[in-house]
Amino acid sequence: MPSRFKHQVPKYKVTRSDACINCGTCAKTCPYGVHERIEGHNRVKPPIDYKCIGFECQNRDFCCVKKCPRKALSLSPNPMYETLGDCRWTADMITATWIMAETGYPPKRADLEYNVGNSGGGFDKLRLKFPANPAPVDPSEISTAIELNRRHDGRADIVISIPVYGGGMSFGSVSLATMVSRARNASLWNTFSCTGEGGYPEMLKPYDDYMITQVATGLFGVREETIQRVKIVEFKYAQGAKPGLGGHLLGEKNTESVAKMREAVKGTSLFSPFPFHSVYSIEDHKKHIDWIKQMNPKALVSVKVSTPNDVDMVAVGSYYAGAHIIHIDGGYGGTGAAPDIAKKNIAMPIEYAITKVHNFLKAEGARDAMTLIASGGIRTAHDLAKAICLGADGAVIGTAELVALECVRCGNCESGRGCARGIASTDSELADLFAPEWATQRLTNLYNAWNVQLVEILQKFGMKSVKELVGRTDLLEHVDYSK
Amino acid sequence: MPKKYHLHAKATPLDLEYVFKFKIVRGENCINCGKCSRVCIYEVHKRRKDDPRKMADPNTVLCRNCFRCIQECPRGALEKSLAKDFLNIGGSYWKPDMLISLWKQAEDGKVPVTGAGYRGPFTGPGFDSMWTDMSEIVRPTRDGIHGREYISTSVELGRKLNHLTFDSNGKLLSKTYDSVDLPLPIIFDIPADNLGANVRSALVEAAAEINTCIVIPADNITPDFEKHSKHIIPCVPYKEIDRCQSVIKKARIVAVEYSDALLGELPRVQETIKSIGGALTIIRVPASRDVETIVSRLTHAGAGIIHVVGDYRGLEVGGPAGSNPRLLKDIIRAVHLRLVDERVRDEVTLIFSGGIAMAEHVPKAMLCGADLTAIDLPLLVAIGARLYEEPKKLLILPEELEKIPVQIVRQRIVNLMVAWHSQLLEVMGAMGIREARRLRGETGRAIFFDEIDNDTFGKLFKRGDAARV
Repeated sequence: MPSRFKHQVPKYKVTRSDACINCGTCAKTCPYGVHERIEGHNRVKPPIDYKCIGFECQNRDFCCVKKCPRKALSLSPNPMYETLGDCRWTADMITATWIMAETGYPPKRADLEYNVGNSGGGFDKLRLKFPANPAPVDPSEISTAIELNRRHDGRADIVISIPVYGGGMSFGSVSLATMVSRARNASLWNTFSCTGEGGYPEMLKPYDDYMITQVATGLFGVREETIQRVKIVEFKYAQGAKPGLGGHLLGEKNTESVAKMREAVKGTSLFSPFPFHSVYSIEDHKKHIDWIKQMNPKALVSVKVSTPNDVDMVAVGSYYAGAHIIHIDGGYGGTGAAPDIAKKNIAMPIEYAITKVHNFLKAEGARDAMTLIASGGIRTAHDLAKAICLGADGAVIGTAELVALECVRCGNCESGRGCARGIASTDSELADLFAPEWATQRLTNLYNAWNVQLVEILQKFGMKSVKELVGRTDLLEHVDYSK
Repeated sequence: MPKKYHLHAKATPLDLEYVFKFKIVRGENCINCGKCSRVCIYEVHKRRKDDPRKMADPNTVLCRNCFRCIQECPRGALEKSLAKDFLNIGGSYWKPDMLISLWKQAEDGKVPVTGAGYRGPFTGPGFDSMWTDMSEIVRPTRDGIHGREYISTSVELGRKLNHLTFDSNGKLLSKTYDSVDLPLPIIFDIPADNLGANVRSALVEAAAEINTCIVIPADNITPDFEKHSKHIIPCVPYKEIDRCQSVIKKARIVAVEYSDALLGELPRVQETIKSIGGALTIIRVPASRDVETIVSRLTHAGAGIIHVVGDYRGLEVGGPAGSNPRLLKDIIRAVHLRLVDERVRDEVTLIFSGGIAMAEHVPKAMLCGADLTAIDLPLLVAIGARLYEEPKKLLILPEELEKIPVQIVRQRIVNLMVAWHSQLLEVMGAMGIREARRLRGETGRAIFFDEIDNDTFGKLFKRGDAARV
């Protein structure tokens, strides 16, 4: 499912000098379409940089730089590439995610480092340590399914086919097309997507079995009927990008349709306060969970918390309170707008929290009854595998999905009319930049690429199920410590 | 409950171009179709006013890096790169993004907000190697930023008693000390010395407006500052106290530079200053290798307030070349813990400065053990100063700065402090701390990279340790 745009962001720059005699040799030799000479035109068109595969081409016979009879062509890194991405989501990682969303498979290009980022810590310092001679496993035998109800308490025994589901993004923070396509993709992959806090649009009705609805502190759009529609209800206590700060939808984004959904007044800023003012203890927390369980006797309850020092205690508390899923959201993720000071500084990165919670639940004898889901900085299939090795059962992703829809991570989700790329906007003009069909296919492709990579990883470990990977820190190494 | 502390921001743009990050260039092969102007929602691309058949040069300052024009130009005629200015400004400590953020906070007084998660490195030196904790479920958080709960950011300056003593009738025997309350754990420190009169006035007025103080060399205090004397901390050489009597008399606090000779005379100096007009004394100590020893001696000698001054990048000062200077975070912890060990920490107020560059540095410095912080360079960045670290420190003030009206300069500095105050509330609210005084040395609400990384990955992956696990 190709890009919606005419051009993509080029990694390389092909320069044609004045020595060019417009002979058209380059256009004939390049199989990627960098050079084009239209029949009847005198001049070759300017090179289309983004199609170039870069320096590795210089080893090929068809390389334009070598073939040009006048040595008029040269290849260099494109300065534009430096304006894409950052050290967590590198330009290579964004480009690779786009390729996955386009083709459904991990890129074959050797010049993209897309499994690790450049942040200098956490996942970016961990490597998967593959054994030299794994037990032979046929890829068709490998299961990536995980169960979400490990309490086996008579509630729905939900199994998802891939250990990933979509994070909460409310209507208002993202466009309806984004929301619908995420839900549709979840139904195709037999996994889940989440409404976030901001109501449950009617258009999602066909995907009820694949939706998680969120109950957050503002209770926007939460009704008895929405609780009863779904198989999983998620309590959002906090979110990693702004732990301890609650949510905030700026007035500009509270358009008529958003206001209606949230039962609020158009144009006013909407705050989801922090914390739940009805919860100041685990007992209060249990009361919340019981309330949902009464309202929907089949639903599983997920508890989403961020990662303070005592996240392990909170997780165990949630187990005793009767939750099925403990979803920990680390500080370095997040999709929507958040204060820079909070994103950078408050609460610990997810890598530490997974280990902490996994071990604490184990010590408490509760690990087998809880599903531990990690989020907040899971960018790639390798991050996912590493998170599982550290102790998670699965992961929730948000940013990766948005990047699949061609988010460039410019970070202006909140400003003015919102997302310039139409992903996180309810502006009447911007929200119509793409159709749900296109978006659904891009997401489905991304999930497929991740699944291909995950199966490959499991095969290299000689495992038949992703469940075998949980907590296997012995299969990881750390570039600083494991020397 | 103390009176609510409220600051007022007001959008105050300056008519000068600050550093911008992205540069867009229109290539020769542009066909003036205008597609870029239709897709850009930030108004970077417009047609030429004098000749609407042609596109104007991109107004690249407005670019927010959305790539729409780049990707949709039918001819691929637009190119974007990181602006040279952006790549050159600042340095390894004062990162270009930081300077731009300070500048923006001064424009509107708002908390910087962006989407799509954190984009910086996992960890870094100094304050970047720690996180602040937050509360969840079992510990109440405080909703300060939305104003529903009052979070006090005020701190007290002055000597404190370790304990009180009473006679058998319950009458207080201890003589209590005077203190000065500031509603924000931030004072302004001596800014650069080549500032114009309007900037100096604006700094003083801004300090007065937000009800904090500014340190100024006694000789630079001009008569027109008189109405703000309560907000000025004159800095005097201790041998010239008599000569500076007139400014000392009006001040609430006076600063004195440390010297070895001062140590022996400390009680007398503090007493003399107090006798002139009742002011408290700050001793300014450079953050040298033996700073904790000096601070300890001063405290035992009866100092009330000690201000430890690091270099502009938050480094230890005065070490021999090639020595590995400590960072402010570690200096604060060392000084604080030394006084804790000696059981005198509560008796003295500690101010730290040098490299306090972002709002987050204030609560982090306090968690490490500072009572409050002092800032200087951010105040100048707020009014357009450009800072370069390489090859050596260089501060360039904008041209014609002296022509900008005092009230505009003042408002921008106030705006910056409004933004910092709001950010302090965010961090404190998340931690569930309602009194800034309680932040001091509260390492239980901090997460240090060295500790947690070693506890987690060190235990799992260090060879020797792994064997034991």
